[in-house]
Amino acid sequence: MARMKFLCDAERCIECNGCVVACKNENEVPWGVNRRRVVVLDDGVPGEKSISVACMHCTDAPCAAVCPVDCFYTTDDGIVLHDKDLCIGCGYCFYACPFGAPQYPQKEAFGVRGKMDKCTFCAGGPGENNSDEEYTKYGRNRIAEGKLPLCAEFCATKALLGGDGDMVADIYRQRVLKRGGRPQTWGWETAYKKAG
Amino acid sequence: MNRRGALTIAALAGTSILTGCWESADVTVHEQGKYKGRGDPLLDAKSTAEREAVLQKRFQLVQADR
Repeated sequence: MARMKFLCDAERCIECNGCVVACKNENEVPWGVNRRRVVVLDDGVPGEKSISVACMHCTDAPCAAVCPVDCFYTTDDGIVLHDKDLCIGCGYCFYACPFGAPQYPQKEAFGVRGKMDKCTFCAGGPGENNSDEEYTKYGRNRIAEGKLPLCAEFCATKALLGGDGDMVADIYRQRVLKRGGRPQTWGWETAYKKAG
Repeated sequence: MNRRGALTIAALAGTSILTGCWESADVTVHEQGKYKGRGDPLLDAKSTAEREAVLQKRFQLVQADR
């Protein structure tokens, strides 16, 4: 069984934010919410790298583990989705997620946040596929149409890959082999390098 | 009597409306780790197998390196 995954190749990402725009437009994402963001590492320093980040559709999703009303569910192909009718806007998933994926459309007094919104891997949510209700609450259901997330399909440099994890990993492995290694912008060497 | 009766009924109705003394019996009882929301057609295992092949083809077509 395929497991759907995103991977951003930092060597290819040019910080064009095309993925962010594609996501916003395709899913009519609420004002103030970005389901996808481009993060720049070592900004302004020679050798800076950019990566596009959204929900990583974790295999053991911490958002789902902490949700007090269990509004999360995972499809057979590993896409983590949630039901906005069950969400109480408590914000626990926001604190639990290491990628900052869950976001809230409202900022009002007394911490009123509204229903949580996050990347759906363009797979909509509960209810009839591509119904008006689904589109309004969760955005386009491209998966039901036999298409992959628009952010990945829109990426001009093919830095952002989204699809079957095995196929994504194969492509990345081939690229790394061709380049003769991976960048050390993050990873072991960076995290544990000796100061000085 | 009629007037008094009508007033009593109106008062009772008004009180119940104003206090909102009605409760839906349709309550979802929480159970840890169990999703009890609406169903999603994407959860249908039968369609997942067919979808997998379609999405793999799509991936090769759109995202694979050329």
